[in-house]
Amino acid sequence: MRKMIEKYAVKLLRDRSAAPGRVGFAAQDDRMVEGGAPDLSRLAADVLSRLSCLGMVAAAPSLPFPELLVRRSPAGSSALVPLDTETRTFLHDIPFLRRGELGADPAGKIAALLSNRKGAIAEGIGIFGAGTVTLEQAYIHYSSVHHAAYVKYLMDVLQDGFLLPEEEEAFQAFREEHLTAPSAEGLHFRPGPLEEPGEILAEIAAIGRYTVERGLVDSCFGNISYRAGGTIYISQTAAALDELAGCVDPVPDDNRSTAGITASSELPAHRRIYEATGARAILHGHPKFAVAMSMLCGEEGCPVKDCWKDCPRVRMLGDTPVVAGEIGAGGLAASVRRVIGASGKAVVYGHGVFTVGREGFEEAFRAMAGVEAMCREEYFRRLDARRRAGPGQSKSE
Amino acid sequence: MLVVDLTSGRMRRVEIPPELLSAYLGGRGLGVRMLRGPHRLSPFDPAMPLIFATGPLCGTPAPTSARLSVVSRSPLTGTAYDCSAGGRFAFRLRAAGLFAIRIEGKSARPVALAVTSAGEEILPADALWGKTVGQAVRALSGRGSVAAIGPAGENGVLFSNIMMGEGNAVGRGGLGAVMGAKNLKAVVLDGDLPTPIADRERFDRARADVMRLFRASPVIFGELGISEYGTPALVDLMHQRRMAPTSNFRRTVFDGSGAYSGPAIRAAYGAEKEGCFGCPIRCKKRASDGRPLPEYETVSHFGALNDISDLHAIVRSNDACNDFGMDTISAAATLSAWGESRGRFPSPDEVVPLLADIAFRRGEGDLLAQGSRRMAEALGRPELSMSVKSLELPAYDPRGAYGMALAYCTSNRGGCHLRAYPVSHEILRKPIASDRFSFSGKARMIKIAEDVNAAVDSLVACKFAFFGASLEEYAELLAGVTGERHVPQGLKEIGERICLTERFYNAENGFIRADDDLPARFFREPGSEGDGIEVPPIDRARFGEELTKYYRIRGLSDDGSFPDPAFLDKQP
Ligand SMILES: [Zn+2]
Repeated sequence: MRKMIEKYAVKLLRDRSAAPGRVGFAAQDDRMVEGGAPDLSRLAADVLSRLSCLGMVAAAPSLPFPELLVRRSPAGSSALVPLDTETRTFLHDIPFLRRGELGADPAGKIAALLSNRKGAIAEGIGIFGAGTVTLEQAYIHYSSVHHAAYVKYLMDVLQDGFLLPEEEEAFQAFREEHLTAPSAEGLHFRPGPLEEPGEILAEIAAIGRYTVERGLVDSCFGNISYRAGGTIYISQTAAALDELAGCVDPVPDDNRSTAGITASSELPAHRRIYEATGARAILHGHPKFAVAMSMLCGEEGCPVKDCWKDCPRVRMLGDTPVVAGEIGAGGLAASVRRVIGASGKAVVYGHGVFTVGREGFEEAFRAMAGVEAMCREEYFRRLDARRRAGPGQSKSE
Repeated sequence: MLVVDLTSGRMRRVEIPPELLSAYLGGRGLGVRMLRGPHRLSPFDPAMPLIFATGPLCGTPAPTSARLSVVSRSPLTGTAYDCSAGGRFAFRLRAAGLFAIRIEGKSARPVALAVTSAGEEILPADALWGKTVGQAVRALSGRGSVAAIGPAGENGVLFSNIMMGEGNAVGRGGLGAVMGAKNLKAVVLDGDLPTPIADRERFDRARADVMRLFRASPVIFGELGISEYGTPALVDLMHQRRMAPTSNFRRTVFDGSGAYSGPAIRAAYGAEKEGCFGCPIRCKKRASDGRPLPEYETVSHFGALNDISDLHAIVRSNDACNDFGMDTISAAATLSAWGESRGRFPSPDEVVPLLADIAFRRGEGDLLAQGSRRMAEALGRPELSMSVKSLELPAYDPRGAYGMALAYCTSNRGGCHLRAYPVSHEILRKPIASDRFSFSGKARMIKIAEDVNAAVDSLVACKFAFFGASLEEYAELLAGVTGERHVPQGLKEIGERICLTERFYNAENGFIRADDDLPARFFREPGSEGDGIEVPPIDRARFGEELTKYYRIRGLSDDGSFPDPAFLDKQP
């Protein structure tokens, strides 16, 4: 348990989702184990002791976005409802407590929220993630809430502007100090084509790590594959992209074995992309600006309500097509297949980016970094335009 | 609820107290609660109830919830026993205007119970006695959906099933023999009353959430998942993980398993999709001639465990078990233990005749019909029974998954994989992967999962749904149906009450810590290493330590007993 706590404490700092020194953990075996910042870990333990769960993360996020979203929420509301895929599929919504609601027994209040949800936000404290099965699961739920809140804040600011006095300064600091440019500089890629399974596995593990390190995906999401000799080598479901050693399934094209039942839920998408492009490498991440921009649609009077699955249009973000479709067997595979051939890139509405490499991973990686850089630039261009136009202007396009 | 006394022939419909439904939900929980009192009787005592209980979701379009639990005391294990089963029977029970049926007493003559929304009657069944399940089902199917026993149940085979007409089994613990002891051949149900849904919009939203999660789960709707290949999709995986029990658990890899993998079965039999009522997953597979095809456990145990790689022989073994009405896992494992004792596993052609001997208690079949524990003891080789609390272990070798090792022992119904179902995270990585070769945290994981699954078995939903969805979405479905607020934490607390109640019954029937143990083989002999995977024997001291942790987490004493002898009196 101790080792696990140390491991995820390091991860939360490395992925820059939590503020240094403001991470607390609790895990219960036959007794409670705590680690990290004492006030947060004590609170996490207090919450955990009231729930039938194994682990809990309580941490202050490195960016104030979750907190600001709570304060921007209309009076009387008690949950954020981000529209990205991770929320829609796994979180449903993100319940929160305002500072004034914490009362004399904050742990009891927070436990009540987590009795029904995987993660929650407490104003003035941070994000709580609960893990029923493992501590890693608590970390993932923290990470999901963080990701969803990040993307939602980007979108809300673009649509509604700053509503609170301190927001502008916080956002400026985010833009100038927190953000680093997505790039492939300084990374080593094996030139393809790769044939030897050992080499393929090693390269997949390296690329997975790069993708996390360069902020193109949070560790527990995304997936990656390479195709050689009639077999797709693909990361397993619920695998951390920065820890792929031993977590890659070889899946034969002809389905003669079902051992790949543990392969990523996006196996169908990878298969369709290989069919459509003849590429050898596929990378799939959830870079935040691309996810946010994919959901900004200027269409007036459109009858489609559930855009993430029902939008029939192919929109363009620069030269990258955006399509709808839900994960796994939910339709994404077919819609990505239709569009990815032209540029080797596709964005899925509210979800993430698929890119391909014809020989090796370098092309795919550079393409993904490029899509995110372009989306970031476009985001700030629109934001700046919106602010120049003044507060009366609320449309994003 | 319908209460039937077969001794007198009296039947009455009574209300289930609403406070019991809120404290136990339905299904397994309700049945276990109704077992309080008679729980110390012999399973074959006429006063021992046999309870068929649906759950609050049954009859609605909640995915995978057209299920019921059958609850009684097991003649094989001596424990409180429940088994969840799908098909159409549970749905018809609801449609007949009932939530549950409680059957007591013993009829003087073989009978069948027929229930419709208009009323119920007891039919003479002398002509059906001795008939196979298939024959009984065909004879009664004009009256609705049938659950019947075969010759195995009539003859008191300790692992006889109650079989649903569609091929689904109330399996493992020998409840077929409990039914047979009551001279009850079959129950047949019909009706078309709808189950009301209090908040349709909320229900529909939750249902959409569940379906989205099913589609996101590679195990459920993936191209290599159980919707495509049925549970035999696990054959290749267990082979690759080196935890497929082989030769009565002497080895953990069987080179012939490719003969009965999911793709091999599909190639040989077509494997058309077939499902329980209203189930979107449809993991059951049917041959092009209509025969139900075997599940993972069945192919692996009639296969690897008996050193057989002849797919057609395995399918015939499955057919025979279905027709005689007996459990495939226990039947195959008992044959395997017997095979080891005599130095030779049965040949593919010997299996079906042996199964017939068991069902009719002829020759060696009479001994084999007692299950592997009693059989091995009678032969003076008790160590050959690969069972926990007399229930034969299924096809996940505990040396390859330490949560599974612990869960086999803490399961209140004996060596069963489904109580805590750690295969989900230790092997299938759902909802997240855990380290299968570590005991760290497993006591807590198993305890929580037992509680969750007790709630799932009381709703009643299918375990497979939870390869995608979680209690979060099912609590919403329940809220939609009832109009009341439900959250996962509350459901887990109900599950905890159910698990502790079962354990309390077992303790009162003499079960102690020593019964929560694996066969010695797993602590002494390694599995089959290779491909960079070592499969060492389980560390007994570490296992014992984790078991003690489990007791502490459950609020029990370190010897597994209840510190509070009045525990039961304090439960609703
Ligand atoms: Zn994704």
